[in-house]
Amino acid sequence: MAGNPFPLNKQQLLQAYRTMRTIREFEERLHVDFSRGDIPGFVHLYAGEEAAGTGIMMHLGDGDRIASTHRGHGHCIAKGVDPMAMMKEIYGRKGGSCEGKGGSMHIADLSKGMMGANGILGAGAPLVCGAALAAKYRKKGEVAISFVGDGASNQGTFLESLNLAAVWNLPAIFVVENNGYAESTSRDYGVAVDSYVDRAAGFGLPGVTVDGTDFFAVYEAAGEIIKRAREGGGPSLLECKMVRFHGHFEGDAQTYRASGEIDDIRSNKDCLKKFAAAVTAAGVVTADELKAIDHEVLGLIERAVVDAKAAPLPTLADLTTDVYVKY
Amino acid sequence: MLHRTAAIGPWFAQSMDDIEPCLSSPMSDAPTIGVIANPVSARDIRRVVANAGNLQTSDRVNIVLRVLGAAAACGVARALMMPDRGGIRALLDRTLRRELGQAHHDAYPALHYLDMHAASTVEDTYTATRMMADAGVVAIVVLGGDGTHRAVVRELLRCGAQIPIAGLSTGTNNAFPEMREPTITGIAVGLYASGRLPPGQALAAHKLIEVAIATDGRVQRDIAIVDAVITSDRYIGARALWKPESLLAAYLAFADPQCIGLSAIGGLLEPVGRLQPGGLAIEMAADAAHALLELHAPIAPGMVRPVPIAHWQRMVADEPLLVAHAAGTVALDGERELGFEPGDRVTATLRENAFFTVDVARCMHLAACDGLLRTPVGAGLPRGLTR
Repeated sequence: MAGNPFPLNKQQLLQAYRTMRTIREFEERLHVDFSRGDIPGFVHLYAGEEAAGTGIMMHLGDGDRIASTHRGHGHCIAKGVDPMAMMKEIYGRKGGSCEGKGGSMHIADLSKGMMGANGILGAGAPLVCGAALAAKYRKKGEVAISFVGDGASNQGTFLESLNLAAVWNLPAIFVVENNGYAESTSRDYGVAVDSYVDRAAGFGLPGVTVDGTDFFAVYEAAGEIIKRAREGGGPSLLECKMVRFHGHFEGDAQTYRASGEIDDIRSNKDCLKKFAAAVTAAGVVTADELKAIDHEVLGLIERAVVDAKAAPLPTLADLTTDVYVKY
Repeated sequence: MLHRTAAIGPWFAQSMDDIEPCLSSPMSDAPTIGVIANPVSARDIRRVVANAGNLQTSDRVNIVLRVLGAAAACGVARALMMPDRGGIRALLDRTLRRELGQAHHDAYPALHYLDMHAASTVEDTYTATRMMADAGVVAIVVLGGDGTHRAVVRELLRCGAQIPIAGLSTGTNNAFPEMREPTITGIAVGLYASGRLPPGQALAAHKLIEVAIATDGRVQRDIAIVDAVITSDRYIGARALWKPESLLAAYLAFADPQCIGLSAIGGLLEPVGRLQPGGLAIEMAADAAHALLELHAPIAPGMVRPVPIAHWQRMVADEPLLVAHAAGTVALDGERELGFEPGDRVTATLRENAFFTVDVARCMHLAACDGLLRTPVGAGLPRGLTR
């Protein structure tokens, strides 16, 4: 084997794997614990989509901002939000990212540039225009990235944001995580033209489509798009074609899926398996090194759950803190 | 029956006389063409790193309608189409329902979609090509860039099916498919499919580059219909090539100075026509000290970059050239495809008369000179097969 063929060094490859594995195990654990009734509220799991969030976020620093969706755990972890605090938040406990008052769909950490998961479809895009405008004024080469799904890409907020970002030449990037389903509605029914590149072109910004289950394809495309934005080249759209392993929400019976579809995507479109196969086949990383990470991550998730269950609930007094009005 | 060469052995016919159009197929009185329209061509990173354009889905549908309408006017009664989930089928169906509902029931061929699952990957193109070959289509109209055309040709060769293609450029690079009005392509395909122009007149034979990678006694083969380029990138990633510093060598089936993309490097060094014998092999220089010259080539849309050249030579058909680089990736028609490592033996071989296209320019010239589109007043053009 003649050296490392990838555009990342070994340490970065291991970090990418660790991030994706952390997201995967975090989500799979929530899947199990939710079915036991341990978790309040709704959760929407990112399992299967790890390569997109990770491949993009590896190009970002804390000064770059992102706005996420209802399916935000993966974006949070990839952006560097503490999984321990995230788990407490999902369990609604003090010490969570939002002191247990926001839950799964509102996890945020501004110190990491994570402006929040968001329960309102398409709501992140205008926020990102604001963050990108601020970045443009600060002149430090920072960018802001909006994640939307294929369903939310039909929202007016998203389309208006594409236009504004293009008109003002903002360092904004719009990532359409196209997993083929808006809740239970296939894109065949809900999207007249299944090409977000066409939509971007209609608004005067370039668009690119990549295989969102291929970490390296996402990493390479995102790298060029982010570099362009940092250098004043303006906004772009990146469509990641991907798959989600679980339902829209936990508890979703998924009757809209074809028979065998989930088994097929878990076998053939698992981004973690593809990544592991590529880096071990190239001889840059060993299977044992990856297994060691798997073991550490499982330990981290277990600690996160134990800590979350042990953490206190918010009190009535906490109801009137962290709000704009002083009571 | 559809004439097929053996799937093993030479991938190419000795001459166009070996091609038998499907005159004796079960659908011989209803000439059938295939249409493969790629909904995802022209969507890659070159939209950002270069000024590559975008062809809207609605424009792709318009192209299909123009081809089908013209082909129907010239005798094609039936068309098989690759289904897709990129919006082409949905828009096409809506438009045809609207137009056929108004009048002109015979304005288009009867359009049938292949009974296949659309995975939205290149596998769709392979599956569709195979099914069209099995169904006995007499020609396949392809909408896409170099990669799509390559995928169709590759599958035709793999099946041993000598079906000519008619290409329409809807990709980024479009070195292979010429820029042409789809209506004219439809007329040419219709005249061929209906038997009014025989293969010897209607078709052109094309070259390709065959790449073989031998690893521990196993040989992996693939083809390029324009260029096979060796790059120092050693992973597939976003597939497209746009960094001149990563280019190590190029093997070209033809070198057209009016093309953009990697074949432009050859086109501007020593043009080799599409139908002219021979190809071109180019070695890029590792650095200025080893360069004979720098060629400023349009390697991507709107992108003219200096490429240091060490040397170049003509390729002769059937003579393999050994790739001198130890490790890298072979990009086929502009997309990174095959990795190779130290110890692998990589060769590039020019093959001539490898596959066929409907020669639209010649067909239209003959149509004019032979009066194929003339009829007595009020008579209408013939429908169905003309023997």
